[in-house]
Amino acid sequence: MNKLLALVLILFSANVFAIDGNALLVDIDRRLQPESYEMYRKLINIEPNGDKKEFVLYTVKKGKENVVALFLDPPSEKGRSSLRQGENMWLYIPNVGKPIRITSLQSVVGGVFNNSDLLRLDYSTEYNAEKVSEEKDQLLLDLKAKSRNVSYDRLKMWVDQKTQVPVKIEAYAASGMLIKTLHYSKLKDFGNGIIRPAMLETDSPLHKGYKSVMLFDGIKPRKFNDEVFTLNYMPRVGELRK
Amino acid sequence: MRNWLHLLLILPALIYAEEFSFDISSYEKKKYEWGGYLEGIVEYNHLNDESALYNLNFAGNKNPDSIKRALATAELEALYRFASSSLNFRGHATVSDDYFGREYQTDIYELFYTAAPSDQVNLEVGKRVIKWGKGYAWNPVGFIERPKDPNDPDLSREGFIIAGADFIHSFDGSLKTISFTPIVLPVSDDINEDYSSQNDINIAGKLYLLYRDTDIDFLFLNDASRSARIGVDFSRNITANFELHGEFAYIDKQAIANIDAQDQLSIDQKSIAQSLFGIRYLTESDITWIVEYYHNGAGQSKTQLQRFYTLAKSDPIASPTLYELANKAKLAGYAAPNAGQDYLYLRASKKDAFDIVYLATGITSIVNINDHSFSLAPELVYTGFTNTESRLRFILLQGDKNTEFGEKQNTFKIEFRFRYYI
Repeated sequence: MNKLLALVLILFSANVFAIDGNALLVDIDRRLQPESYEMYRKLINIEPNGDKKEFVLYTVKKGKENVVALFLDPPSEKGRSSLRQGENMWLYIPNVGKPIRITSLQSVVGGVFNNSDLLRLDYSTEYNAEKVSEEKDQLLLDLKAKSRNVSYDRLKMWVDQKTQVPVKIEAYAASGMLIKTLHYSKLKDFGNGIIRPAMLETDSPLHKGYKSVMLFDGIKPRKFNDEVFTLNYMPRVGELRK
Repeated sequence: MRNWLHLLLILPALIYAEEFSFDISSYEKKKYEWGGYLEGIVEYNHLNDESALYNLNFAGNKNPDSIKRALATAELEALYRFASSSLNFRGHATVSDDYFGREYQTDIYELFYTAAPSDQVNLEVGKRVIKWGKGYAWNPVGFIERPKDPNDPDLSREGFIIAGADFIHSFDGSLKTISFTPIVLPVSDDINEDYSSQNDINIAGKLYLLYRDTDIDFLFLNDASRSARIGVDFSRNITANFELHGEFAYIDKQAIANIDAQDQLSIDQKSIAQSLFGIRYLTESDITWIVEYYHNGAGQSKTQLQRFYTLAKSDPIASPTLYELANKAKLAGYAAPNAGQDYLYLRASKKDAFDIVYLATGITSIVNINDHSFSLAPELVYTGFTNTESRLRFILLQGDKNTEFGEKQNTFKIEFRFRYYI
């Protein structure tokens, strides 16, 4: 009887953690950015010898599954745009002149960030929180991908308890191999109640010695028509800028 | 203790605050934008002096063993914005220097005005490149575009003067997007005269659906300067790393050249089908495979191509009539890239090759399935220096006598291309 009671308690407590974890994940998403927004990002790939290559992207997102990112710099990439609708991704290259389907694991920029990092949906859209535990002044969320098509099978997310934003994320493949580690830092007030890290650094055991840094700015809530997130609109994404 | 932890947390930010900066004001929308690239190409072509096309191209010349070629290109583009419309320009200028002499060419590839009264509607008028289809190397449904070079499918091409529109509508549910793109392409003695010799008003259209995560296009071209044609294409991700695509076109009354057993050249009208099926697959080791099968219903059979190669090897002095006929057949398409009927395209490429970021390797092969001849092109591409791209490519052509790649002018080609983006 005691064993049965203990089992019920364990199951009950696990369920409580799962519900709290998923609610917390939604809260973390909203602290990082509004559900629909525009923002500018600078991506810096740093080679082991210190050489850097920089990319600037303008990104707009609507709802749970629509994101489009336009390269503004360097000139070799200018005009390229990547669109994501849920698990579908396309790349538009002005010279090629029509969108082609791409996969989330590829990287259109080289370096440690892949396409799903550049066109990231909300964490709560792609992951379930299986476990939440406390580590000093941080919470550790164990996240499991909701489907096999998500780029990383599991995430370990350390969240600062005071600011409720991620500090560090480890991304794992289904095999359990660590693919990359993300470090959020440089907390900044972007206005409209958005206080979040302005910098994301990543490194990967698959790219030893290489590091990529993403700087965020101009994050603003903004409403868009659904038609902005279609193949026909990809050549026109730059016109959305104010 | 907590304060110390917070300090530790923001310490990297303090360190990097000096190192990285980001000023978005220089990336906001401007009244005008411009860009483009400058390009230099040097080539070494090793010639096959026993081939049919060598005989056609070099008869009466000094019979060189090889040709060196240098090519300089400038492609410039500019955009000027009005309230909700813009004027767009793309110009292309080349100078080439080789065995045959020096040539200059300047073209306006695009010059068009576009207006977007809403997110759902876009209107365009002027010279514009329209590219339809899902295939990488070939596009049977590319009804109103200039031919694509399967050896370099991403090269920019010149447009035609058109008036077109885009009507887009998004939905919730299985059908997520529907769009319709009508195009009007006039042909006269002064406008789009290289589209067709027959003056007329050409009307084409594309209906696009994103249905159950599949891209589907239905396409048509009316019976005017070119014969009527209809087509369909699709593209879908089967898994996150496996994409499937295809195209099918039916062309009514396509003009096809024919060399009969008596060595007479005629042009016949036939209804033909063209199709393409392909995949794009990303392996766990980060190699992207593109494999496409192409059936060219307008292409020449193995026997027809053999007759052409036999004619093309005629002695221009001893058999001037046959030699002249071969030149006419060449102009009728017998020597065009991929003039045969069935092809396989294979390309494997890897980014960040040999653990060097920005170094990409690739190998491409085009196989004529009917005569088993093929091209094989390994390449290295480096984009590590800001705003530059360097490509080194070797193209080997292999085949027996009287086969497509065996009778090309070259045995192999080594090419270095350098691009600087401005």
